[in-house]
Amino acid sequence: MPPTNRSRNCALVDSFVLPFLFLTVVLLGGLRIGAESGTFIFIAPPLVTLLLATLLMLLLVRGGLVRLHHWIGSDFPPLTNVAHIWTFITIFFASAQAFNSVLPERGLLHWLFSFFFLWTLWNNQFASFNARRLLRSLTVLFGTAFVLKHMLLTSLYSPEGGWLKRVAGTLLQGVALGTLDAPTFAAATGYIAFFTLALYVAGLILLAFAVNGETTVVTDLVVRESILGDPRD
Amino acid sequence: MTARMQPRIIQLVGLGFTIAYAVFIIWIYATEPRTFKEVSTSAEVAAGTYEVDQEKFNSALNFFRREQFRAARVEWQQADPAQQDARTQFYIAYSFYREGWGRVYFDQELFKAGVEAVNRAIALSSTSKLTIDDPDLHMNTAAELKAELEQGLERNWSDVNPLKVLRTRK
Repeated sequence: MPPTNRSRNCALVDSFVLPFLFLTVVLLGGLRIGAESGTFIFIAPPLVTLLLATLLMLLLVRGGLVRLHHWIGSDFPPLTNVAHIWTFITIFFASAQAFNSVLPERGLLHWLFSFFFLWTLWNNQFASFNARRLLRSLTVLFGTAFVLKHMLLTSLYSPEGGWLKRVAGTLLQGVALGTLDAPTFAAATGYIAFFTLALYVAGLILLAFAVNGETTVVTDLVVRESILGDPRD
Repeated sequence: MTARMQPRIIQLVGLGFTIAYAVFIIWIYATEPRTFKEVSTSAEVAAGTYEVDQEKFNSALNFFRREQFRAARVEWQQADPAQQDARTQFYIAYSFYREGWGRVYFDQELFKAGVEAVNRAIALSSTSKLTIDDPDLHMNTAAELKAELEQGLERNWSDVNPLKVLRTRK
């Protein structure tokens, strides 16, 4: 690719595509659809999601998905620095909203999910990571949380009585599920959450492939590992 | 030089576009619209192009004059879905007053709703005194209406005065 096209495409991805993708995650991450009214319900990110997002940002930096020293520096033009800081901010809030979309809205389950996310992210701080491993780990983390919240719990709290509700009813006869109370939303909420998480993961993959000056190293690493496999595996 | 300028232009345009998008997202979460229609109404309010549906307003006024207060409120709520028009909110408050007024007692719930509506009307007309020029009304300012509604919510010894059955509705 000629250098001019390369720099144009880099600028397009860095300054336009990535922030736009992550901001769309911010928009959709807190969106739910009311079960009965079918109206929009916007849920701002709870405080715990900001903490989770902070831990995730540390992981992204450690895993090499966000190479801060290649993004921000005194040698770069001010506009480039501003654009990169802006992208960094959008990733942070997108991460918070990605967690928001898979966290139960209230009750004991909200705190249980938050605790497990905190536990996983805290443990990961001390594990060795590279871009590919981190992407794989995050996909599995969000995928599992999505299945738990939008498939299992939705079935459990479905007003019509999903399959899990019947199983739980049989297993937990006499045990009240009141402490595990959660609001019910329309089925469209699950589709929105799936799309949001898919966009978030797509944004992270694009981030890994973003040709951002010397960040081609990350690209090469991800491509080589995806072809040859990780030598540490 | 041009080749170097182009990425810079892309950066600038991208930054401007995405910042505008972020502002839109913050605005969406701040206003919490429930439907696409509410999104467009809120956008009209933000852009300053919001207008009350005059046809519905007049229809509500006819209901109000025929003492069909609930029907009037439904029409006024449709005429001013964003609750941004001081005059409409004043009339909504007045309809709560007239419906809640009783010779023996005042309906507390309706009067409370009336106070909320008149407060909205006052807040919307904070720059000037809200006066409604309507000969059918005995109270033409929001301040008078608010005082009357708040007085109706108060509990005191005058409530047991038998002469109060002689009072008149404004």
